[in-house]
Amino acid sequence: MGEVQIVNNMVDISIDGVTYKAKEGEFILNAARANDIFIPAICYLTRCSPTLACRICLVEADGKQVYACNAKVKEGMEVTTETETILEERRAIMEVYDVNHPLQCGVCDKSGECELQNYTLEMGVDSQSYTIPDTKRETTNWSPVLHYDPGLCIVCERCTTVCKDMIGDAAITTAKRGGSDLDKAYKETMPKDAYSMWNKLQKSVIAPSNGTGETNCSDCGECIAVCPVGALASRDFVYKSNAWDLKRVPAVAAHSSDGAQIYYEVKPTSIEDRTEKIYRITNEWNYVSLDGSARFAYDFQNTTATKDKTAFDAAIAAFKKADTIRFNSMITNEEAMMLQTLKEKMGIKLYNPEVRAFQKFLNHYEAASGNSLWSTDTDSMMKNSDFVISIGAALRNDSPALKYAFNNVQKMNKGAGLYFHPVGDTLIPTFGKNVEIFNHKVGLEEAVLYLVLDLFADKDKLPSAVKDYIESFKSTRTEIIKEKVEKTVKEMVLNEETGEEEEVSKKIKETVEKEITVSSNGLIDLLGGDAASFDETFAKMMKKKEHFSMMLGEDLYYHDKAENIAKLVALVEAICPINVVMTPPKSNALGVALICELDDTQSGYTVGYNENGDFKLSALGTGDLDMPAMNQQEGTLCSIAKRVLPTNAAVEYNGYELNDLMKELVDAPELTIDWTQNLPKDRGFNGVEFDNLTNSFTNEGIDNRGYTLETTNVETDLPEVVKFEENTALEGDIAYRCNPARQFNDFTDKSHEIFETFSLYASKEKAESLGEKVEVVFDNGSIFLDVVADEKIVGSIVKVPDFRAAEGVYDLFGASRYKTVTLRKV
Amino acid sequence: MEVVHLLPEITWVGVMIKAILILAIISALAGFGTFIERKVLAFMQRRLGPMHVGPYGLLQIAADGIKLFTKEDIIPQNANKLIFMIAPLITAATAFIALGAVPVFPDFTVPSWIPIIGDTFVPSIASDLNVGVLFVLGMMASGLYGPLLAGMSQANKWGIIGAARTAVQFLSYEVITALSILAPVMLIGSLSFVDINNYQSEGIGSWMIWQQPVAFVLFLIAGFAETNRTPFDLLEHEAEVVSGYATEYSGMRWGMFFIGEYANMITISVIASVLFLGGYDAEGAFGWLFIMLKIAFFFFFMLWVRASWPHIRPDQLMWFCWKVLMPIAIINILITSLVILL
Amino acid sequence: MSLEQFKNRNVGSQPYVALDVGKPPQGGWCQFKQVVKRTFKGELFVGLWVTMKAMGKALFANDMHTVKYPFEKLPISPRYRAIHDMLRLLESGSYRCIGCGLCEKICISNCIAMDTRYDENQRKEVSEYTINFGRCIFCGYCAEVCPELAIVHGPRYENASEQRAGFSLFDDMLTPIDKLNLQQEYDGFGAISPNADENIKKTPLAY
Repeated sequence: MGEVQIVNNMVDISIDGVTYKAKEGEFILNAARANDIFIPAICYLTRCSPTLACRICLVEADGKQVYACNAKVKEGMEVTTETETILEERRAIMEVYDVNHPLQCGVCDKSGECELQNYTLEMGVDSQSYTIPDTKRETTNWSPVLHYDPGLCIVCERCTTVCKDMIGDAAITTAKRGGSDLDKAYKETMPKDAYSMWNKLQKSVIAPSNGTGETNCSDCGECIAVCPVGALASRDFVYKSNAWDLKRVPAVAAHSSDGAQIYYEVKPTSIEDRTEKIYRITNEWNYVSLDGSARFAYDFQNTTATKDKTAFDAAIAAFKKADTIRFNSMITNEEAMMLQTLKEKMGIKLYNPEVRAFQKFLNHYEAASGNSLWSTDTDSMMKNSDFVISIGAALRNDSPALKYAFNNVQKMNKGAGLYFHPVGDTLIPTFGKNVEIFNHKVGLEEAVLYLVLDLFADKDKLPSAVKDYIESFKSTRTEIIKEKVEKTVKEMVLNEETGEEEEVSKKIKETVEKEITVSSNGLIDLLGGDAASFDETFAKMMKKKEHFSMMLGEDLYYHDKAENIAKLVALVEAICPINVVMTPPKSNALGVALICELDDTQSGYTVGYNENGDFKLSALGTGDLDMPAMNQQEGTLCSIAKRVLPTNAAVEYNGYELNDLMKELVDAPELTIDWTQNLPKDRGFNGVEFDNLTNSFTNEGIDNRGYTLETTNVETDLPEVVKFEENTALEGDIAYRCNPARQFNDFTDKSHEIFETFSLYASKEKAESLGEKVEVVFDNGSIFLDVVADEKIVGSIVKVPDFRAAEGVYDLFGASRYKTVTLRKV
Repeated sequence: MEVVHLLPEITWVGVMIKAILILAIISALAGFGTFIERKVLAFMQRRLGPMHVGPYGLLQIAADGIKLFTKEDIIPQNANKLIFMIAPLITAATAFIALGAVPVFPDFTVPSWIPIIGDTFVPSIASDLNVGVLFVLGMMASGLYGPLLAGMSQANKWGIIGAARTAVQFLSYEVITALSILAPVMLIGSLSFVDINNYQSEGIGSWMIWQQPVAFVLFLIAGFAETNRTPFDLLEHEAEVVSGYATEYSGMRWGMFFIGEYANMITISVIASVLFLGGYDAEGAFGWLFIMLKIAFFFFFMLWVRASWPHIRPDQLMWFCWKVLMPIAIINILITSLVILL
Repeated sequence: MSLEQFKNRNVGSQPYVALDVGKPPQGGWCQFKQVVKRTFKGELFVGLWVTMKAMGKALFANDMHTVKYPFEKLPISPRYRAIHDMLRLLESGSYRCIGCGLCEKICISNCIAMDTRYDENQRKEVSEYTINFGRCIFCGYCAEVCPELAIVHGPRYENASEQRAGFSLFDDMLTPIDKLNLQQEYDGFGAISPNADENIKKTPLAY
């Protein structure tokens, strides 16, 4: 810790007389933190823009008072963190924060981990010099999970900042408080910064930005995490427990493939029931942001499990006669390894439709590019990238980490973004000025990649066949346009004062007609864009952009032409300055894809693990034999960042584990985590024992959890890509297999703070036309669903969720994410 | 003539009556002794002592008796059962047998107006042996087998230590007792308690204590050791050996050790009274009252000492016996002999 | 752990202080002299006299120290720390405990547990509270740390019962509502000091 990673562009700065290294262009506050130096700061969030609300990070840099959170380091800068005037300012600021702050620490949920408490003590505030009449502020609930007590709020705006800069929902903002005006006398007597901070504080509270009392956001709860005081809390957690009573269990968020760091916070259920239960989830919010499933879907443990010997024997018998094991990605690497062992030793087929398409895509990609895995991750994207392209991912639903990265790049790196997806979305355009949306027709993802090649590729390197193919879409025509031109005209003017003539230049606007050649790109029209205006827009987007990245989503894996797409991706990576990241569909899909040799079909007697089957192992407590849920077991998971992350058991489990079955069936070590060091090294795992895996972040926010999968890069020739068919687009009503945000699987569904239902999600207009309930008829079956209007969806494609394994939605969709369906009103 | 005069009491009926009387009275007194001990110790520590069973806690004895009789008689698994069971009997029996040869009141005849037993002659002593002193000392000495066997039979280390201490302490102080009594006996020329008593029947001035003060002190000290009383209660000293030889005992067997101990206390008190303080003063009308008071005083003195003094270490005890008391006793005998010779 | 520190019997190097008890007697003769000296000095009789005097006082000067406990009880100090009481507010009768959990946290034998919840009036409500008296060591920290003087040590020190659960729940410790007028303000462990006002810095109020 404290060891600053030495990269290029390091500068020397001195803080309080000691010289340190810092990255050029970094804020003083971050440089200090990276070197283990404490500068107080309340409103600043590491990965978001400085708010300047609290002004407590005041320092002296080269003799001038600056705010450490928004002043950048320069070579040779001398920083003093404490001077007499600074200490005076800080104390005054803390006194102001304490004015009228309710003295209810005794009951406040934040007490013990409250930054207001901490800084009040740190600044030694033991008396109060300021006073103002208080304003009545009512406690409200903003959503099913958010609870806001404005009385406690110090308007540091961390919640609004994180919601805008990181989450992208921008669902909350500052609003008028209606408080009394400050006594003018204070202006003279008070320290300056404290006065202006108070002036602003006295006028504002936080409120939903849509003007109603409800936030209508994705309910990720990140605002709760960043709140320094008890103003924002989870409704479920209010007054349930004191912070210090909770034991923190470091773990990995189990549901999405983000691999987000979380702590399960546990404590005995009640006085009568001393078994531990999870009270809430917290995270290292300076370094990682959670989505709703990670924060609120935590109580999915299997509580009813016992060591049922008969069920165990039945399971052994079932495995012995099984032909197929069907499972999903809600499984640790160790368990995946066990199943692979069963395949190798007993010849059982492994069937996992959730992961199989992804695995195939990875294999195609590896064959085409020579890279075993994609080249970037969300963290480095947020740090470096300034142009993001998203293809084939329902960003809001599939991968929260990618959504946050897409948004963060727009906000923090003055970035631009291209979003290609058949389903329209109202939220993504709000991420930034330079975000362009293409709602293309279903099946045209290849065209998207050709467009990317056209826009970004080094034309010299582009294979001629591809080049010609792309050129074939382009046409040129001449157009006469009217253009406004500024002309500078010089004329002689008599200066009245001096009586001399002077030459004065004037600017005059003129409209001229001009004949120009317009090249029109047919690909853009094909993808639903406006070819005429795109060139100009794109030129604006490209201004000062240097680092490009591309996010690929699940749609591509389930595409008919997945192999060609994988090749195109490899080509893009090879000849465009673009880094690529792929979304593992769910949970530990990457781990399963790396470890298991999956089969394309299931047949014969099937053992289902959290899935349908003739014999069902279930961590939900509904199967023939109980299994531990993800919060009841140790193990490792692979994340989108290509890391192998350790997760720990938060609550007790009394039943059998998969490893117990393994011991009976084939040879197995004592514990599940004994498998960790044996994970396949040829797939990038590195053989570290579970207990030796690290689990922390450094002060400068470098992720030290677990280890990064080793990737292999083999020099290969550019892949041969084929042309796409323009008319494969689906007609009629189209269903899209997509879960509502916060829902990923049966486990999120089981959690009591997840409210999204198993329904058909459609745009407002579509939902109105469909009525309350519909039967969605596929080629091979149908499903009855309630219709829910999602205001953020645009267009007529409807979303059918797949998070309930028992409903068999994967089987209905088959090898595609889009299907033509008949929607029948019920 | 004397022998003929005493003939009626040598019938077996008389012996039985006397034996039963001694047993009953002394047992009761021993019980009462425990009550008195508790009371006296309590008063000396400004406490009340037993108060709740009967008036002033008098029936505490009965309660304790019931408790002792009804308690389970536990015999440890690895103990030598026979010896373990017999040992308390030895202590109690020897203590009572010794009492058979000590006089406690002058001879008298039951007044004739009392029916049935009127005119019965009651001798001062159950059996006036001409070697009474030797007999009593011998009996008390053989009483050492009680604690010794008890301690050795119970397969308990505290018991073993208690037994070892028994052997050492009792045997050593036996010597002092005998030597201290030797001097008065030499003066009197008889081993019969009646003779000893009669020798001092001429008022306070004739009490042996004036002629043999050193012997008296030696006897008293040895008496404490013989009866296992503070400051010489090493056999069962709780702080060191839990309960010594009595560690594994419970119920009435445990009780018998204490009946024996209290009976011995009474015996020692009686011997001290008769030997040194003029006994029952054969000619006086209230001799029986005086000897009672003398015995009571010695008994009280034992309790008083317990309340006042700490006990000593085993090595100090031995040192005191062999290097202090015995030389003094021998010198005392030498001086006495010289006085007699001259 | 090594036995080194036990084996080191060099008193000088250890933090012991030697008492001056004079020289022990050297040889048998000196020991004998000491015995004689102590014997005739009458120290033993002083001991006897002390106990006899105590008995005399106890019996005749009414200087008996025994308290016949179940029938007589000594008054206990306000700082005595017996079974806890939960106090109520004198005016409203509602209980003082706000559920802050400080007692639970400070408890060094970890015997306090509480359940709290968000009640209908948007306040923190203590739904259940319990002290494990099998584990409580009656240190008084809970009373001292309580910001509301809600949990205090009561005068009940007779804890023998068939079921300790009988007096360890919230309702058992809470002042019965009909006995509110008998509730005494606690001035024991953790109570406000008499000069508390002098030690407080006043906060300005705008209204």
